[in-house]
Amino acid sequence: MSRLMVQIGRCATKTLVSQARNDLFAQSKTSLVTWRSITTTRCLRSERWYTDKHEWITVDGNMGTVGISDYAQDALGDVVYAQLPDVGFTVKKEEECGALESVKAASELISPVSGKVTEKNEAVENKPSLINTSCYKEGWLFKVELNNLDEIKSLMNEETYNKFLKSNH
Amino acid sequence: MFLPTRLIVIARRCLPRLDSIGVARHASTYKTTYTKRNEGVDSIKKSVFMSQSTNVFVNLALEHWLYRNFNFSNHHVLLCYINDPCVVFGRHQNPWLECNVHAAEKEGIALVRRNSGGGTVYHDKGNLNLTFFSRRDRYNRNYNLKIITNTLLRHWDLNSEINKRDDIIVDGDYKVSGSAAKLGMSNAYHHCTLLVKVNKANLNSILEKKENGIVTNATTSTHSAIMNLSDINPNIHMKKLIACIGWEYMRTKALVCEDGEYDFVQQQKGFQYINPNEHWFPGINQFINDFGSWDWNYGKTPKFTITRTFDVSTNDDKIHRLNLNLEIENGIVEGIRMNLPAGLVSTSDQDVSVISNLRGTRYNHEVTEKIISEIGKIVTLNTIQSIDENNVRRFDEATLQ
Repeated sequence: MSRLMVQIGRCATKTLVSQARNDLFAQSKTSLVTWRSITTTRCLRSERWYTDKHEWITVDGNMGTVGISDYAQDALGDVVYAQLPDVGFTVKKEEECGALESVKAASELISPVSGKVTEKNEAVENKPSLINTSCYKEGWLFKVELNNLDEIKSLMNEETYNKFLKSNH
Repeated sequence: MFLPTRLIVIARRCLPRLDSIGVARHASTYKTTYTKRNEGVDSIKKSVFMSQSTNVFVNLALEHWLYRNFNFSNHHVLLCYINDPCVVFGRHQNPWLECNVHAAEKEGIALVRRNSGGGTVYHDKGNLNLTFFSRRDRYNRNYNLKIITNTLLRHWDLNSEINKRDDIIVDGDYKVSGSAAKLGMSNAYHHCTLLVKVNKANLNSILEKKENGIVTNATTSTHSAIMNLSDINPNIHMKKLIACIGWEYMRTKALVCEDGEYDFVQQQKGFQYINPNEHWFPGINQFINDFGSWDWNYGKTPKFTITRTFDVSTNDDKIHRLNLNLEIENGIVEGIRMNLPAGLVSTSDQDVSVISNLRGTRYNHEVTEKIISEIGKIVTLNTIQSIDENNVRRFDEATLQ
């Protein structure tokens, strides 16, 4: 239990750090982002959404960035190979779209949404350990053009995901 | 000897394909909500399946079929199978880097890519393969390996240990078992080899020799000193070992390594011989074909480059160094670059894109040989006075790296 708390603590710290960096980086765009958040995508901007299979996604407009959670990278151990979906590949919500290999186990990568892959993180392909060292930033896996923004509604926000981790693991 | 009815029902519901991408059609039939790990633990029954096939493609297809279609919520399965001589490499490995592909093909030893992670192994009839299936949230490699070490201790008084890599080792440092696993959305399996009486000479000759100059980020194997169980105790033989491990599996409680003794065994589903055919496992033939295909075994190789350096001597006694670089993606030669030094061709030092007809072909060891012989022709054309036929022939054996 105490280990779990530590993990959640770590998770929260990382989120805080990444938020802070985001803000620094995006200062010049502030007005645009504010405008958009007021008019349209109230809840989606920069918030991280989670699946019960421990993938996360952030959405900007209809473009999503997908990765795995800190809990997942910790459970996997050292990732030695990342098999990511190719650009142009159509992923489907809750279906396999790649694999991560760690300590002799190949784990299926499950897509949190449906859509078309627009970019894969080649830095992660070349250096899979980025998933362990920076699962929410440099260790993102692929970008996807969402078919249906409503699919996000079935995912958990940070708070719900943390509760989910607490009650199930 | 009949499979449970549920298995057949699930089987008819879908006919999935081998390749990992876009295969989880069946997934919607599973409960996607997470249930606690220990829920319903008392209702879990255990079976030991024994495959009647010794064909590696059939057995991997059976394993994959169960992983894709079976519901392990209340039913844990240990699958045992033995293969005719073959080499099995991990999902993200490069066969040319891991084994002597040319020698294996010549000897008629099957080469096959499996779905799980990990390194390359050699199988023959002296090797027992054990696959432990469960729901993903109940996957537990240590529990499974303890079933094996407990068996060896109980029946043969043999002490063995599980190391950090989940190998089972005896006598300090000799490996008798190696592990790998596949984890999916609902199901998972952990499989391992157990060396009973493997032909070690074959194992070494097939796994030892590798091609040179390969650069890749594919998963690489860890070489270990191995030992056969029968060398430690001649009373350990295959038939008895399968029976003892199966018995140990059924007497051990489902989620904790606790002995349930004889009464517990009586509650299990027992041993079942499995005939892996299309009738019992609809769709298995497609998997068998896929496991035997070039597209799967070689086409799924992570992209890699091969760099070769050759010394070429011309008849004015000068030695020239040539660099050949091949880029291979999805098993196909996508790029060929050759650095020809000044003096060997009419123009100065340059990268020459050569042998364009080899681009787009499937990679095998003959590709480099073909290129070298083609280079011989080009060089002869350009410096027709300085190279004779004999020298060109000798380039073929002049690989330095």
